[in-house]
Formats: sequence, C-alpha cells, structure tokens
Amino acid sequence: MAEEDILPFDPTMKKKKKKKKTGFDLEAAMGEPTEDSGSSAAAADGQPSAPAPEEEPEEKTASEAQPAQEKVTDDFSLDFSNMKKKKKKKKPLDLDELGEALPDAGDSETTQSSAATEDFSVDDLNFSNMKKKKRKPVNLDALDDAQDEDNEEQTDSVGAHNAWIGSDRDYTYDELLKRVFDIMREKNPDMVAGEKKKFVMRPPQVLRVGTRKTSFANFADICRLLHRQPKHVLAFLLAELGTRLHRQPKHVLAFLLAELGTSGSVDGNNQLIIRGKYTQKQIENVLRRYIKEYVTCHTCRSRDTLLQKETRLFFLQCETCGSRCSVAGIKAGFQAVTSKRAAIRAKTA
Amino acid sequence: MTDLGIKNFDPFADTNESVGNAQETLIHIRIQQRNGRKTLTTVQGLDQKYDFKKIAKAAKKEFACNGTVVEHPEYGEVIQLQGDQRENIRGFLIKVGLASQSQIKLHGF
Repeated sequence: MAEEDILPFDPTMKKKKKKKKTGFDLEAAMGEPTEDSGSSAAAADGQPSAPAPEEEPEEKTASEAQPAQEKVTDDFSLDFSNMKKKKKKKKPLDLDELGEALPDAGDSETTQSSAATEDFSVDDLNFSNMKKKKRKPVNLDALDDAQDEDNEEQTDSVGAHNAWIGSDRDYTYDELLKRVFDIMREKNPDMVAGEKKKFVMRPPQVLRVGTRKTSFANFADICRLLHRQPKHVLAFLLAELGTRLHRQPKHVLAFLLAELGTSGSVDGNNQLIIRGKYTQKQIENVLRRYIKEYVTCHTCRSRDTLLQKETRLFFLQCETCGSRCSVAGIKAGFQAVTSKRAAIRAKTA
Repeated sequence: MTDLGIKNFDPFADTNESVGNAQETLIHIRIQQRNGRKTLTTVQGLDQKYDFKKIAKAAKKEFACNGTVVEHPEYGEVIQLQGDQRENIRGFLIKVGLASQSQIKLHGF
C-alpha cells in the first residue's frame, strides 16, 4: 500500500491486479511493509557510504545488480506475454507468489528507474524515447534479445541514477530510491537479489469417498510441513468449508488426541474425511488462505513461524525476524440449515 | 495535546460485532454445500440498520435466484441466497455502496 502512494504508474498496478485474480494476494497484504522497512534499513546502511559515490562503486553496483535484474526482466517480459500466469496455474500449490514479492520490488524499481529517466533525463541524457521503442518489441521469440537489451538499459539507467552528482540540479526521490536499492543489493546480494525461495508445498491429495464425502489423504503430512497442529488446520478447514467431519465426534477426538500426544510424528494412514464434495483445487485454495493467515509472518513473510496460544488469543511468532502479532481465531460463523428440518426435529425431540 | 485521539478508536472493532462504528465490521460471505451440486450463499454481518428484506429482494432480482432473510440469535439477520452467488453478491454490495471492498470477506473454497 505504501508503494502505491509513492509510485503513480501503471505497471505495478497492473501486476497486482493480475495477481489478485489468482486469489492469493499475499503481496498486496504484506509485500509492502517489509519493502518499506527494508529500504529504510538500507537507507540507514547506505548513509555512511553515501559520500563516496565515485565511478568505481557505481560500476560495481551495475554489475552486481545485473544478475538480479536479469531475473527481474525475465519475469517482466514473461509477464507481457501472460505466460507466467499460465505457469502458475499449472503448478498446484507452489506458493510462488510468496517468494515473488522481492523480485516484484525489483520489478517496480526497474520501471521506476525507467520512469525516472523518462522524467528527468530529458535535459542531460536523451535516451528516454529510444528506450520506449526498445521495450515494445519484447515478445516471446525475441526473449533473449530483449533480455540483453534490457540489461543494457539497466546499466544505462544505473548510470543515469547518479546523474545529479556532476550537475548542480537537485536529486529526485526516484533517483535516491534507486540508489538505496543499488547499495542494498551491493551490500547483501542474498537478501535483495533474493534467490527467491520458492515455498513448494506438496499438493493436497484429495479423493472422493463415495459420492458425498471427500478424503484428504496427506493431511497429516501437510500439517507437519506447515509446523502446525492438525487441530488448528482442521478447525480452519471446517470453518471455511462450512461442513462437518464425517466421523463420530469421539473418533475425531481420539484421532486428534493421538496426534497431539505424539506431537508431530504421525504415521499410518491418517487421512481426513470431510463431508461434501471438494476438488483438490478447492482444498488448495483453502489451504492457501490458511497459510497466508496463520503460517506466513505478516512482517517478513517467512514461513518459519510458531503459533502460540496465550490467554485465549493466538499469536504468530516469527522465528526469522522475531516479530509477534496476534491472529484472529477461527470462527465458523453463521451456518444455514442444509439438512432436512424434519430429521433435525426428530433427532432433538 | 491532551487529546490522544482515542475518539476514533473502537476497542471492539475486532470482535466483529456491531458495537460502535459499523465501518470496521466485516461482512462474511460464505458458501455451503447442499445435496448434489447445489449450494447456498450466506451473507452475514451487514449493518442492521438496513432493510434486509429489500436487499434480499434486489439481490434475488439481480441474480435471478431465490433467497431469504433468516434471523440468528447471535449473528442477527442473515441473507441466504440459492446457488453460488459469492462473487455476485460481493459486486452487488460494492456497487450499491452497502460495503467497501475491504469490508467484505469471502469464505469457502
């Protein structure tokens, strides 16, 4: 959200919209805050080294930034052709978007840089029009060419970002921002260039049991993968789907107790049976939402989190950045009567 | 400087009950499976100051489905619509200005 305030141009917006269609808008929810904190941290970091912006570090940043930007441009050009989205759809539950926010930042930044040069290089560097022409012919066939060209552009724009040093005009916000990101990338390439850690989840194995029941075969596995108690995941699933388990409550209780007692080491065929017809995709969507809300850290998006319960409130404790925030409890909400009313009456009476 | 800006703070905002300002209450749109491939959409958490019957009537006409308003002791009045109308009702609520995008929460698969 913070980014939107800063950048008034379309490419990032377009991207966001696209992602929203996938129904998993993690970066909309928490992509930006970290961005901000990261940049501010780097700003603090970059301040001491600011007075030495000679030719050498400049070149260094350019060369260092290239691998990252190559990736970014790759993303970008792919995005033009809508390939990326298709790919994403094919992959079942890879949570690609989780790791994507970082390159996303780079992406917006490159667009930023181009915008910056378009705005400000008119007086000293005059390649803004040229660049536009170059950008347009990007298509699938000319991918490699486009990449090379893009890289050239990047180096150009990196150079352009320190353009104010020689001249007596003021630096602009965009230029400074770019500079900060460059310094950040130089200082710790791992963080920004981000080998984007893909969080690949095993897809849930969902089978139909009979006509009106669904079995979630690797439920225990997935719970273990997320480091969450099956009880919590189960509660969320049931609340979201608005169904019940198709088992005797006692049985469920026993199942859960057994699970909790052994604390994660689940064996045998611990499958979950839910009432209602669900496809794998539907269960995936629910799991995604669960992961977004109860697994990923709301500050740094790390999956290395713990869920703690204190005085009836759930807290998400991040193991990576140490942040701690409360998360909403699971509530089933209103449930309409879907079974036969006569049957209910017969049962209660 | 003695005013700490507590005026706008609603301590019950996250309890999701319509205490104080209704701006913060979430509207939950859920789906429930019925027999076969039939489904039911429920809308819970709309501001009670509106006439639910009228909303339901408009929605029914708009989506060409049937629906009703049921009273729930805890959640107040809830609109039920037949079929999967989640996206429809969300667009409808936003379009007529009964709710904002951030207020609505879609549930279900």
